[in-house]
Amino acid sequence: MTAPDAALQLLRTGLDAATAASLEACVRCNLCAESCHVFLADGESASTPAAKVQQVARLYRRYHTWTGSVLPGLTGARTLDDAALAALVESSFGRCTQCGRCTLNCAVGLDPAAAIRFGRAMVAAAGLVPAGIWANVAAALETGNSMRIGPDDVRETIAWLEDDLRATTGDPSLSLPVDRRGARVLYALNPREIKFFPLSISAAGALFHAAGESWTLSSTDFDITNYGYFAADRAAAGEIARHLYARADDLGVETLVVAECGHGYRSLRWEAPEYLRRTLPFEIRSFVEVLDDYLTAGRLRLDPAKNSERVTLHDPCNLVRNGGVIEPQRRVLRAAVQDFVEMTPNREKNYCCGGGGGLLAASEFAARRVATGRLKAEQIRRTGAKVVVSPCHNCIDQLLELNRHYSLGVEIKTLAEVAADALVSAPTG
Amino acid sequence: MTSASALLLAAFLVAAVSLARARWGIGSVRQRLFAPPRGRAGSGVLYAFTTAFLPWAKESASGHPVSYLAGILYHAGIFAMLACLVLSLTPLQAPAPLASALAALFGIALGAGLGLLAKRLADVAVRAISVPDDFVSNLLVDAALAAALAAALVPSARFVFQLVGAALLLYAPLGKLRHMLFLLTSRKLWGAYYGRRGVLP
Repeated sequence: MTAPDAALQLLRTGLDAATAASLEACVRCNLCAESCHVFLADGESASTPAAKVQQVARLYRRYHTWTGSVLPGLTGARTLDDAALAALVESSFGRCTQCGRCTLNCAVGLDPAAAIRFGRAMVAAAGLVPAGIWANVAAALETGNSMRIGPDDVRETIAWLEDDLRATTGDPSLSLPVDRRGARVLYALNPREIKFFPLSISAAGALFHAAGESWTLSSTDFDITNYGYFAADRAAAGEIARHLYARADDLGVETLVVAECGHGYRSLRWEAPEYLRRTLPFEIRSFVEVLDDYLTAGRLRLDPAKNSERVTLHDPCNLVRNGGVIEPQRRVLRAAVQDFVEMTPNREKNYCCGGGGGLLAASEFAARRVATGRLKAEQIRRTGAKVVVSPCHNCIDQLLELNRHYSLGVEIKTLAEVAADALVSAPTG
Repeated sequence: MTSASALLLAAFLVAAVSLARARWGIGSVRQRLFAPPRGRAGSGVLYAFTTAFLPWAKESASGHPVSYLAGILYHAGIFAMLACLVLSLTPLQAPAPLASALAALFGIALGAGLGLLAKRLADVAVRAISVPDDFVSNLLVDAALAAALAAALVPSARFVFQLVGAALLLYAPLGKLRHMLFLLTSRKLWGAYYGRRGVLP
């Protein structure tokens, strides 16, 4: 089967009614244009959400409407061929981070992000997903995590972190448990934490310990990232999530706590149960929500004086606009820092950092990714903050690059790191 | 019944059947959802069909006040025009003050429609994504509004209004005018999505 044939098969048989309704309802008013950070950054008409939706809608009209098949010129219907697929790669991956800000602001009330996402799905069916993204999908399917980290490496890293944490806190009872059956909470990680940002694991461990939580890490199938979700390959995304669900089942936990990762939270909390068509026997919560719970319950005591510099907060699109975790991180920050200022706009209206949608793994779009981050850099600069907190490792990678590229001179931290720096409490649990 | 009325009635039936078929063609949007909700889908749907229409609710409206106002007036005129088209099949006649008010509304809506057409031609980004259907649809609706305006002022123009209205109805299932049907579905889903996830209202 050729690439266009494979994509066409999906278009003919795999299009859901909700996405079809969006493709039908778009009137090409283009009022969504300024809601898109890509368009705001490059000003190119091809970057407007409406233009990206039309790359999919033109194909839809050709194969799903009578007028499009008989009078394609009237409705701009287009045949699905190699050129159309190349245009879809460019529009749905290269010019879109799937942040959903266009959906929030669509005047008609349709879902441009879902329509563009179906473009990604056709690209995936055709086997044309950017190689860097697909390499992560393959790794996760083959090894249980997107960075091919083996269980021994996990155990060694955690053991080293545990020693280090005991030494720095002077608390020999502090532990980072691994593969502990019967724990109430499984804390699942972004593999980048193990490889590049282990201190965020230490911070989370210190907070769990201080709160007296019964928790564990896992040496296998611990990965919260889901590049299958970025690739819009529902089968792969479902299978990747299933690994972690099975591990949580196996350990018998009550709650699967997702480390600070926007798309990880969204894919595990909201999307994968629909891909797999199953209800889960445990609840799924973001670590951000859990920290907020601990503070509310008085299980943690934080001293904001320990974080005296001005701090601002980046809202990850998948956690906030598409995940509904909006206020907990703010409550935690108000308790953990002395001077917290919001970016403008913020919460569900915040701009994408530019690194969403898997684009950090798609090197062919790297220059544009950094360029579209200009809005975020300007937002940060306007706050005058010295520290930017982002409860998402994907965003943090992009923010680190923006920090260098735009000479922002800020520190980029996770919420756990800032909260752990403010810890004053002994375990109360 | 006049021949124009008969044609209009037939056009209504064709449009209704064709649009229903198009809606049926995409399948049902109802599905069992497995992820537990954070908020209430119903609250989101209510928001979608009420306060989400307010000019400050979305950047697409607050950032484009002229286009927003034109869109509101255009569609208000279209709804009134379609209601008058239905009533034109009955012996009912609007009293003079109401006919004058309707004429004013149709005139304003026509101006809004032509303004939006001009914007489509003038704005590079909008023109880039436009297709012939956009212009045909706008002009047909504008023609129907003009005919409605004429019929409101001169009752004998009802014949022309019915003919233009019939043409509009026969074209409606073929192109972008289908959005009149699908936007209801998509807007409901939009509200349900944000409501269920606890993002809006």
